[in-house]
Amino acid sequence: MSNRHPRRAAVTGIGVIAPNGLRTDAYWKSVNEGLTVLDLIGREGCGQLPLRVAGEVRAFDPSGLIEDRFLVQTDRFSHFAMAAAALALDDAGLGGDPAEPFSIGVVTAAGSGGGEFGQRELQKLWGKGSKYVGPYQSIAWFYAASTGQISIRGGLKGPCGVVASDEAGGLDSLAHAARAVHRGTDVMVVGAAEAPLAPYSMVCQLGYPELSTLDDPDRAYRPFTEKACGFVPAEGGALLVVEDEDRARERGVPVRAVVAGHAATFTGASRWAESREGLARAISGALDEAGCAPEEIDVVFADALGVPEADRAEALALADALGAHGTRVPVTAPKTGIGRAYCAAPVLDTVAAVLAMEHGSVPPTPNVFDVCHDLDLVTAHARPAELRTALVLSRGLMGSNAALVVRRGDDSAR
Amino acid sequence: MITTEVTFDELSALMKQAAGITVDPKELRESAGSPFDVFGLDSLGLLGIVGELENRYGQSLPPDSERCRTPREFLNLINSTLTAGA
Repeated sequence: MSNRHPRRAAVTGIGVIAPNGLRTDAYWKSVNEGLTVLDLIGREGCGQLPLRVAGEVRAFDPSGLIEDRFLVQTDRFSHFAMAAAALALDDAGLGGDPAEPFSIGVVTAAGSGGGEFGQRELQKLWGKGSKYVGPYQSIAWFYAASTGQISIRGGLKGPCGVVASDEAGGLDSLAHAARAVHRGTDVMVVGAAEAPLAPYSMVCQLGYPELSTLDDPDRAYRPFTEKACGFVPAEGGALLVVEDEDRARERGVPVRAVVAGHAATFTGASRWAESREGLARAISGALDEAGCAPEEIDVVFADALGVPEADRAEALALADALGAHGTRVPVTAPKTGIGRAYCAAPVLDTVAAVLAMEHGSVPPTPNVFDVCHDLDLVTAHARPAELRTALVLSRGLMGSNAALVVRRGDDSAR
Repeated sequence: MITTEVTFDELSALMKQAAGITVDPKELRESAGSPFDVFGLDSLGLLGIVGELENRYGQSLPPDSERCRTPREFLNLINSTLTAGA
């Protein structure tokens, strides 16, 4: 039945653990209202560091969501990922033991790894000796930990993988999952979650020139303005269920969106002027794969790094790739209300794009006013709009650029 | 010498502490011949328990201890080692 046309990768489940919401509906409400939850970092041991403002996931209690045996052997970033994956599978009607375990795979992107767990074990190493380091250190810090634990916990035995390609890897992971579905896998659990706000992880970030060290939560992250002074980090993330569209329809579950096109490029660490061409090429490639004309893009979820040179490059890349439409299409960056959760940032943006299309609303860009680039940036309040196609952009500090085109589901099962 | 005996109660507590696995000591004793994976304990979890016991008793345990397949096999090996070393 599915051989008559190319397989399409449908989004059928969403799970979010974000600074502004521990469920998808709460996340959307915060995003659409333009709430900002940026705050001074309150985590123990972080108070003396020059990085002051971030988007923390507060009131997250993993013990109510995840079994002890998974908690003791994993870091906070995997706790987020496991919780979000379970929410996404439930949302897709695929919770519980899988009927066909080999038909479901997992792919995540990761940038920070398990810094909190690693710090605790390294403190044991230097404080007490090597015999006091627990064996789970061997797996908990590792980028691949979340994919492995989601697979083990859910009994998911399809193709699994990890994308380590910088922040843009969040979009690359979605593309990887879509391609797995195109090649014949029925279902992929895909996305990213990060936990970079432990002391060790924070110290690792202090060398980034793009990091905002302002201590005012309302002013620390204001991309596309003359006051732009870098970005603030965040923790949390999102996992999605992406599956063969025909199978989703046979199961009778809503097709929330379709992953239509993707492309990625590389232009070098912190070479923001050069990211203009890289990002433009990524956008063009994603449009080509989606069979999408520039005018069809109804909304852009910007990377919005908050570094003047990078913001300029992004605005110019949109004009380069979309022509005059690039200055007319609504652009938004909800991440200014929660911070950038590294690889999870573009995944959270993709979730926001799907929800924006479902609700017919372009969410605003919190804390940003007085835009100084030739962009129609949506600020202050959400803007009602008929949205069929969204473009999500991401760049990493190490030089990766990616673009993803997402189409609205056609609601036939809704 | 008897004080170095590791009991099922202690093993149960160690499984909880090192690997997050809840198993009733009585059940552990009754099913002492069942493989560890039946209780949900993987090889890294057992390795963690060996490390904890080595630190607690200040004594190295034989390399085979982390390869024991069942609680009974494990406690027999551990206790004979601790008893011999005491």
